[in-house]
Amino acid sequence: MRYFVFLVSFLLLGLTSCIEIIDDLSVKSDGTGTLKYTVNLSSSKVKVNSVLALDSLDGKKVPSIEEIKQKIDQFIKTLDAQNGISNVKVDANYSEFIFKFQCDFGSVSQLQDGLKNAIVILSKEKSIAPLEHNWLSWDGNKLVRSIPEITGRKIKELNDSDVEQLKRGTYTSITRFDRVVDKFENREAQLNKSKMAVMVRTNTYRLKENQDVLENIIYLSPIKN
Amino acid sequence: MKLKYFLFFLLISNLFALVAQRSENLIPKEAVTVFSINNINLLQKISIDELITYDFMEDVHQELFDGSTTGKTLKDSGLDFDQKLNVFYGKGIKNEISGFSFGVKSESALFSVFDDFELIHKDFHGAKVYGSFFNNLIIQGNSALLVRVEPTMEYIGEIADSIWYARGNESVFDDFESEGEDGEVLDEQLYDENPQDKDLPIASEDPNVKNYYELRDSVQLIIQRSQLDSILHELFLNKVNLVSNDSIFAEQIKHNSEGVFYLDNSRNLEKANGLWYFQTVLPSLYLDIKELYTGNVILGDMYLKDNSVEFQIDARYGEKLGSIYEEMNDAKFDKAVLKYIPQSSTGYFTYNVDIRKAYEKAFEVIMPILSDEKNAQIAMNVLTLELLNEYVNKDALFGTYKGSMFGAFNGIKKIKTKKIEFFYNEETFEYGEREALAEEDMPVFTFGFSIDRNDIPEKVMKHLSRLTSKVKNMGDYWRMDNAILDAAPVYLINKNGLFIITNDEDLAVNHSDGYGKEALTKSVAKKARKSGFMYGAVDIAQTLNRFPVDLLNDRQNELIQSLKGKSGQLELTSSKTNKFHTTFDLKYAYSGKESSAKHLLDLINTIYVVTK
Repeated sequence: MRYFVFLVSFLLLGLTSCIEIIDDLSVKSDGTGTLKYTVNLSSSKVKVNSVLALDSLDGKKVPSIEEIKQKIDQFIKTLDAQNGISNVKVDANYSEFIFKFQCDFGSVSQLQDGLKNAIVILSKEKSIAPLEHNWLSWDGNKLVRSIPEITGRKIKELNDSDVEQLKRGTYTSITRFDRVVDKFENREAQLNKSKMAVMVRTNTYRLKENQDVLENIIYLSPIKN
Repeated sequence: MKLKYFLFFLLISNLFALVAQRSENLIPKEAVTVFSINNINLLQKISIDELITYDFMEDVHQELFDGSTTGKTLKDSGLDFDQKLNVFYGKGIKNEISGFSFGVKSESALFSVFDDFELIHKDFHGAKVYGSFFNNLIIQGNSALLVRVEPTMEYIGEIADSIWYARGNESVFDDFESEGEDGEVLDEQLYDENPQDKDLPIASEDPNVKNYYELRDSVQLIIQRSQLDSILHELFLNKVNLVSNDSIFAEQIKHNSEGVFYLDNSRNLEKANGLWYFQTVLPSLYLDIKELYTGNVILGDMYLKDNSVEFQIDARYGEKLGSIYEEMNDAKFDKAVLKYIPQSSTGYFTYNVDIRKAYEKAFEVIMPILSDEKNAQIAMNVLTLELLNEYVNKDALFGTYKGSMFGAFNGIKKIKTKKIEFFYNEETFEYGEREALAEEDMPVFTFGFSIDRNDIPEKVMKHLSRLTSKVKNMGDYWRMDNAILDAAPVYLINKNGLFIITNDEDLAVNHSDGYGKEALTKSVAKKARKSGFMYGAVDIAQTLNRFPVDLLNDRQNELIQSLKGKSGQLELTSSKTNKFHTTFDLKYAYSGKESSAKHLLDLINTIYVVTK
């Protein structure tokens, strides 16, 4: 379990505060959609490389690149086998440390369940507390979203000794639809020109201080018959 | 004994005592390393509760202090502060021995600390023997010995296997699998977290017959008892101990410094695992090597002063080995290196040796030993060495690497790297990637050595630059891109009789001929020049301030933060080397109101935390 959690920490945060995360969710009116999740550690590659050069850090084994590749392959296979999940892809760039994850889903609840199941299976644990939290819900006209709690917890654990570093890290949350957005509740969110995508951006320092900064409830215009 | 135990004993040692009486006579002759403390007044007031808050105490206090010490100081523990406290350790082929001997003022107070010990012998040649698991406490008169003897696993295995196979059993390791699922090696943490998953040894069908693991445990217990008996007989019946057995130690222990250190390297050599081949296959060569190492002992004295901790170390060796060291260290100091160490450097060293002289002397001393050996493999090796000696261009070889070198740590600097960043179309929120400049923190170091043949590395670099675009000739220096962690460049400066490797762009671009006025001051440079073959200096405060804290956890960061208020200079100087010894002086000087002992405790703890 610790090994898997370390791997998740590594992929999510690379044990560094200077990180760029893009969470790009597309939801169609029928509830199907695509999730793209990108983690960019290229601005910390010296630190990531120096961590990878260690056998262990803070009492935990540091995985090798080969082990990371194996775990990612396992994750792809496991997630692809989940009900309602398809086209799982991970594009990993190990020289710049950019990881791009993408999958299609049959419904928002299938996406959440699929991700939870895959992580539980790989970690060999019966349940993982942070995964109990639902970060998405969709009723056909309204989407309620935050960020996955496992990401939030990892950001909370970041060392705040270097505030400047934390401020340079970013988290971008984009939600796309196939119809026009009527309104949304997060005051910092922006609507694109076509009014079919909403974006909220913040830095890791703010996110660490306030986990709710990316929460949003987005209301869509009624479906035209 | 683990480092943490040694650190603990070293620490405890600092807490003690003045005038020597008899505790040193309880050090077993098997001890290879001894740290003995004379000074009494330093840490008597340190409470045990405070002591066990240090990280290096985390394992020890569980073992020795299990809550029964709450509110007590070491003063309350029944120890006789008028006797020395001697911490010792030794590892042999058959066992490992560790412990400490000390004076006892009050047995009842002592047993309020060591409250897990039970009486085993009331009168063992005039001593009382107590035991608690593998630890034994022996009290004779006003002195005590806390000793732990552990047979080596190799020796236990050898005896257990011998009995196991003699009983007609088959190998127990035939079905042994070292790997878990997916070829993943089981790690200890994972294993401990799931105790229900542990595969316990299968019990034998007949409950009166032991399986292999039970047999091995029994063998371990019997050997441990027998080895302990043998050591106690030597000490209490035959009155043989390290003081009576080793005149060098007997002389050293008389010193009235606060602490005395002794390490018998020649006995470490005897027990070095790597030499088993010589011991068994080439016994005469082994004896020659052993003779070469005879007298190889390191002795030290520690002085705790008002604002400094000082160590005087004497490295002694036999005449033959000493003659090689003497030649090696008889090198002229290369003043050119001093130009490349900036005043702002927080830690640096210079090291002056003449590898050619050492080679010639080693050839003279070692070749006759090897030549006398009547063994085909050794004879072929001797022939190869003789031919290499004749045909290799030693002028070119030792002109390229003369032996003298220097190193400097200049703290953490921002270095330029490249990163990929995402940019957004503000109308569609689609995004793409682009390359951008980035800055990352990196420790900046410089390492260089004296060279007469600058043309040789120049040839190498020229050819490398033809092979890869990562190597570039920049005029005054060469640059190797992405040489460090696949991200940062390394600079090679090949001029002024030096070959320098650094990741400091400022040194390569602006100071390839040295730092000029920004280099070490004349007085510091003079110290380095005058200091035998080695000199080193570390500014503790500056080094801590520049420590890369990102990779430490919160607790470790707290410790670093707590030490940041302290100032201190660590300086190592050495004497000229002769055929018999070299002396070193290590001085840690600091300013502040804290006692030497508290300062030392904090430092020991930091070293422990950072190195564990």
